[in-house]
Order: sequence, then structure tokens, then C-alpha cells
Amino acid sequence: MTKNIYITGFGCISPIGLNADENLRSLRSGQDGIGRSLNLQSRYSELKLFGEVKADTNSLGAPIYFHQIPGLTRTDLLAFTAFNEAIQHSKLTPEEISSHDTAFISASTVGGMCLTDELYADANFLSAGSEFVHSYSGAAHTLQIAKFFGMKGFTNTINTACSSSSNAIMMGMRLIRSGRFKRAIVGGAESMAKYTINGFNSLQILSENKCKPFDIHRDGLNLGEGSAYVVLESEEVCSHKPHLGRIIGAGNSNDTFHPSSLSENAVGVTKCMELALMDAHILPSDINYINAHGTGTQNNDQTELVGFANIFPVIPPFSSTKSYTGHTLGASGALEAIYCIFSLIHNELYPNLHTVDPVPGYCESLITHFTPEVKLDCVMSNSYGFGGNCTSLLFAKS
Amino acid sequence: MYITDLRAISPQATFDAGGLQDHPTSHSGNKYNAQEPDYAGLIAPILLRRMGKSIRMGIGAGLPLIQNQRNIDAIIIGSSEGGLEDCIKFLNQIVLYKEGTLTPTNFVQSTPNALAGSLALMSRNTCYNITHVHKGNAFENALIDAMLLFEEGKADTILAGNVEEISDYNFNIETLAGQFKVEDSTSENLLESGTPGTVCGEGASMFILKDKADDYLARIVDVAQISYPTEEEILGLIMDTLKKNNLRPEDIDTLILGKSGDSHTDVWYTAVNRKLFQEQSIFTFKDLVGEYPTSIAFATYLAACLISGRNIGWKLILPPKPIKHILIYNHYKGVQHGLILMSI
Repeated sequence: MTKNIYITGFGCISPIGLNADENLRSLRSGQDGIGRSLNLQSRYSELKLFGEVKADTNSLGAPIYFHQIPGLTRTDLLAFTAFNEAIQHSKLTPEEISSHDTAFISASTVGGMCLTDELYADANFLSAGSEFVHSYSGAAHTLQIAKFFGMKGFTNTINTACSSSSNAIMMGMRLIRSGRFKRAIVGGAESMAKYTINGFNSLQILSENKCKPFDIHRDGLNLGEGSAYVVLESEEVCSHKPHLGRIIGAGNSNDTFHPSSLSENAVGVTKCMELALMDAHILPSDINYINAHGTGTQNNDQTELVGFANIFPVIPPFSSTKSYTGHTLGASGALEAIYCIFSLIHNELYPNLHTVDPVPGYCESLITHFTPEVKLDCVMSNSYGFGGNCTSLLFAKS
Repeated sequence: MYITDLRAISPQATFDAGGLQDHPTSHSGNKYNAQEPDYAGLIAPILLRRMGKSIRMGIGAGLPLIQNQRNIDAIIIGSSEGGLEDCIKFLNQIVLYKEGTLTPTNFVQSTPNALAGSLALMSRNTCYNITHVHKGNAFENALIDAMLLFEEGKADTILAGNVEEISDYNFNIETLAGQFKVEDSTSENLLESGTPGTVCGEGASMFILKDKADDYLARIVDVAQISYPTEEEILGLIMDTLKKNNLRPEDIDTLILGKSGDSHTDVWYTAVNRKLFQEQSIFTFKDLVGEYPTSIAFATYLAACLISGRNIGWKLILPPKPIKHILIYNHYKGVQHGLILMSI
């Protein structure tokens, strides 16, 4: 018999709030965080719309700068902010955080490459070496946090593009199930960068408007940033704490179609949901809500709808909260996991904003208004990334 | 878990296993470049032209292993940085063309999970597909992921491996960070240099892992990792790992140490050697392939060849006593430390 794995804390910083409470307020009031970028030095700052965290890098760093840690990037600071909130929310002691029984698995796609200009100078020998020469890699933020909190257990960083932090959550769940660890702090961090913006721009999928997932006239995604961490604990170490929800299953699959787009028949999307359902030993009819990947690109949303139709005889209520935050890439899986837990705690669903003409035939159950007082037992959260990576997570009430 | 097949592209002649040289290839200077095979017949020319080096090496080592199996249940890659050359090409385009209209190829290939994705795409494998990028522990974490899948009963056969490439990007940045030797060195004198810094290496080592196997090359018994440890904690981790597997230090007959020739960080190996393992035969590998975050994957390849007697490409000088248990101990920059325990 598999032991229950409970969520006992979480923390997040996103375009719709600097902490979890602010995120919840925005979700309920339908307030998105998408607009022009104020912090980014890029020619696209004024041309496209972004989901930017409403804090400049210096103010994000204020609580930590006095420790005089060199080479901290915006990604690191976003990660520290959300991580701190999560461990406080779960009331973890310093001993528990540094324990050999605690795993820490993070995720990022851009990592420290958010400092595109510094990186360009260092990589081309145009500088004498900036303070950031140790800061660029994807694992840099994880190691900064592990060092700061003296973490002696397992540490890891995953990069499977846009599904990265969903896979971090999946691995945390598996490590606890295996009996190797009693708890896992899991999530991811991502900051907006000239590098990623130019990358997504070259793929011609950045929208000049607020993204409208699952609308027939959708015209691309808004890049976003943020960080989110969730504390997972095995039942024997958290009986004295409030249980905020459970993680009950996960599945990962590869779409094997194209490096940067999804297959028409939704091979990977369908399989990851199937695997998650099998992992949790539940049926499609047990799912009460899906937090869709829903980026707002033509290709993603169409494939996702085909995937839903492949699995569900009746598609359950669903929405994409990327319409609030934009696509926060390596942070999105963890951020959306927290939104799912909010739904389970408060018995309410957060809408898919900005959508006017939903794709016909599929979107009867698209949530377009804040919906309180719903009965929720089990929800699904999906993430898909470049390289065909598809991940589905399942959460349930405690 | 069992290693039943393996392939490496490295700064040594490891790929063309038919050949057998008297000695390993000697390198000099700060870059130990991989000896890449002729990929013809394995990768279509049109694809090959567009592939960055890390993807090319990863496909070159990994795809034939997949093709020799009836079924693969997971593809798990450990790579600190993935396609760095593509990354800097794209970065330079951003600056050169002032964020103009760019082609996405370099961007898409620069994501570290491009290799795992390409292996899946080229072998039509829709199974579990993950890329661990935890720098100096990325390969250890890939192996731990594989062990979990076997325990869960979700896999019988797994492809696990690493890739890392030398690019201007990491070479220049690491040079600025003081990672490499100031003076010239060669493979022969690198480890005894007594000076700070090491040399830069690259490569891909790929393994077919099975949960159950009658016929196998070597067994991976356990894997452990820790960041920012004290010396006491490293010695403790080694003792705990051995004890967990009912072994004592004297049961280990062979050590593979990640000595890199960096006088600042080789002290870790000296301490482990002196305090726990005085009688063991010792092998090193960074004089063969250089230093890089996932170089422990090559040590795993070396261990599997030592245990199985498989041709590694040159004449290995074996210890007088037969090998039963090998412990690999490696660290990256003294920050991330890893152990891999292997047996016959």
C-alpha cells in the first residue's frame, strides 16, 4: 500500500502576486499580470506583452543581499523568495531543511542566462570576468539555495524545457514513495531574458496581445517569469500539520513528433495523462478539473484539446491560468500545481481569461468565470515542453 | 541494476571498439577534444549538418544502443549544459543582429533536453524522457532516477547517459573563473602538476541498464551524492553507502578517483585515499578525458570495462588481484560530490 504524500506548504511569486496570498486574490478577482515589461532591456519590451513579476531585481534581493552572496541573478532571487515562503508555510525547522531525509529538486530553463549581456561579454572574453561567472548554469539557483540552507540531502535540477518543474514535482513524489526521503521541496524558477524572448520570437509564437488560450483567434503566448515551490511530506512526518492536499500520481511521455511543436494526434499529451491516471489508480471520470498547459499558441492548444478528447468521454471543466501569468516556462508546472491546490482547498475554479470564441466542439467545459462552491476531489495539471516532453500531475483533497 | 551494453565517445579512441592501441591517446594543453566517429550510416547527412556537437555525440553513442534493444522503457540523460555551442551562436546572433529576425535552430538545439528529445524522436520512443542538469551531479541523478524506475516496476530496460561539449562559451567563462591551468601540461604530467586548475574535457557515455540480467558487463550497486560537504561528511557518506550494501572499506579492491590535477581540490581525493582506502588499486580518468561536470559517466564506463574485461580501446593494465568491487569517488570543483559503487 502506497503511503499518502501530503502537501504541507507552498510559496510562489508570479506576475499576479509577490506571495501565495496575492496570487490567490488575483486568481479570484480575474486580475491578470500581463503587460509591457519594465525591467527587461530588450527591443521587444515595448513590442510584445509579458507576464513580468512586479518587482525590480534590487527589491527582490533586499531580504538576501545583506548576506553578501556574490553572483545572485534574478532567477536566484525569485527562487529564494518562493522557497522561503514555502518552508515557512510548512513550518519546517532548519534541522528538517538540512536533513539527509529532505530532497530538494528544482527546475529552470534559462537559469542564470537571464543575464544575457553579462553572459555575452564573459563568453566572448570581452570582460575580465564578471561576478556572475559561476551563475549562468541551470543548476546555479539550486546550489545557491542548497548552500544557504546547508541542505545535506539529495539535490537536483531538471530541465525538460516547459515541463521542467512538473518533472521536479514528479521526481520528489517518487523519491518519497521509494522510502529514500521523508520530504521533498520541489518546484522551479524562471526569469525573463533577452535570450528566451528572442528564441520564442524566432519561432514566431510571441503574441502582441494578452494571450487567449483555446480561443479560435488565439495568436501566441506571453512569456512570463516567476518561481514556485511546494513542500511534499510523507504521512509519518506530517501528522501534526495541516494537510493542504495530496499528490497522487504523475506521468511523463515523449511526443516523438518535432523538437518545438506537438503532434496533431496528441501522442505524448494523451500518453502522459494515461500514465498519470494509471499511476494514481483512478479513472478519467474521477477528474473534476484540468489546469491545462494552454499556452495560447495554435499548435499547443489544438493538440491539447485532441488529447483531452482522446482520454475523456466527457471533458471535465478546464482552464489555462497562463491567461493570468503568461508562460513562466520552468516555473509554470509548479506555479500551476499551487493554483490546483488552491482550487482543492477552497472548492473553486479559476477562469481562462481573455477567451471570446472558444474552439467549437471541445470547449463546452472551458471555465470562463470564477466559479466558487464546486465539488472537487481530484484535479489534473498538464505541462508540455520542447523536445516533445509531456507531463501530467494529479492532486487530490487531503 | 545491470549494465548490459555501453558506448562512449570521448577524447580517447573508445568508439571504434575494434581497435586496440598500446597506450591511451595523450593530450596536451587545456582542451581534451573528443575523437568523434564517422557518423555516416547512423545519422542522415541532412540532419548531421544541423546538429550541434553535444547532440551529435549523444546520438552517436546512444542511438545504436537503443537500436540493439527490442524495447526501451526510459531515456534519462544527465548533462550540465547541453548544447553550449548552439547557445553561444544564438546569443551572438542576438547581439550581432540587434535582436532582429533570427533563425530558431540554434535556440531549439540549445535546450539541454534536446538530446533526450532527439533520441526519443529518432527511435520513436514515447516513454519516460528526462534530462537532469544538476551540474556536477547530473549523471548521478540520472542513475538514481533509473534505480527508482526499476524499483517502481515501471521499466525493464533503460538508456541512461551523459553528454557535455567543449564550447567557446564554457571554455571562456571557466577560464575567467580560474578553472584551467595557466601553464602547459600533458596527459602524462597533469595529475602530478601540483598547480591550480585543470583541463577541459567532453564526451558522451551511454549505458543500457536492466533490472534483471543473466548476461551483463557490470552491476551498479548504489549511487550517492552530496553538495558542500565537510571532509567528515564525505567519509561518513562513503562509510554509510558501503554499510548499506554490507561492505567494508577493505572489500573494495579498486578505487576510481576523479583527480583532475587541480592542487586546490585534489586534496579531497588524498583525504579519502589516506583515511579509508590504503591498499586498493587506484585508477584515474581525467588524465584521459579531462574535467567536465558529468565526467563521472566516463568513470562508470571505465569501471564497466575493468570489471567485464571489455575492450576499451587501449591495453588496460589490470591489478594483480581480480576486481570484485569498484568505488568511484568524484567531485566537481569541490562542491558537488558523487559516489558510484559497482560490482561484478
